[in-house]
Amino acid sequence: MSDLFSSFSIAASGMEAQARRLRHVSENISNADTPGYRRKTVDFRAEIDRASGTTQVSVGPVQLDPRALPRIYDPGHALADETGFYDGSTVDLMIEIADAREASRSYDANLRVFDQTRQMAQGLLDLLRR
Amino acid sequence: MTLFSAIAAKTYDHARMAAAPAPSVPPARSEAGFGAALGQFASTLHTAEATATQAMMSRADPHALVEALAATELAVETAVTVRDKVVDAYLEILRMPV
Repeated sequence: MSDLFSSFSIAASGMEAQARRLRHVSENISNADTPGYRRKTVDFRAEIDRASGTTQVSVGPVQLDPRALPRIYDPGHALADETGFYDGSTVDLMIEIADAREASRSYDANLRVFDQTRQMAQGLLDLLRR
Repeated sequence: MTLFSAIAAKTYDHARMAAAPAPSVPPARSEAGFGAALGQFASTLHTAEATATQAMMSRADPHALVEALAATELAVETAVTVRDKVVDAYLEILRMPV
């Protein structure tokens, strides 16, 4: 039974990680037009819980996109310098949307594992009940 | 005939040995195990309660809340099922014609 219980916490850690990822994706999308914004990414790492011996997923520190900011030509812009260019953001909406979709799929997978675990435990209890 | 009764006595002796109550270590251990299980059950309930309170105050993660509640549901259901089994067994013994 304790394996089933740890499946719960592992699946929950997966969902938490994907939720965090989606949070950064939404930050990126909402700042797609912010001048000078660098897109944020997070990486995932395996984390071994010493008490239960399970391997959960944890989210690493936020990393900023190291690429050079694109120069956008718009002489009428408030932030434009004397040559008429200003710094755009490094966000590519296509990449962000693909990332969001991937986060959603991984979240679904973890949700299924959670549900499956519950069904298995329920089945075991039903066996005891009859 | 003497041989037969000797064999019978020996067999009886074996059976008596086999059926003799074991030394008191196993019962003590099983009691401790039951106590530990009860403690674990109580701590599961307590965790769920604390997480639910925190989630209501929008401090805890909803994932933690769902996880704690699912674990509690499972624990409570296990406890209820085991209780029903024990009560059933007890009633069965009560109904036994003496």
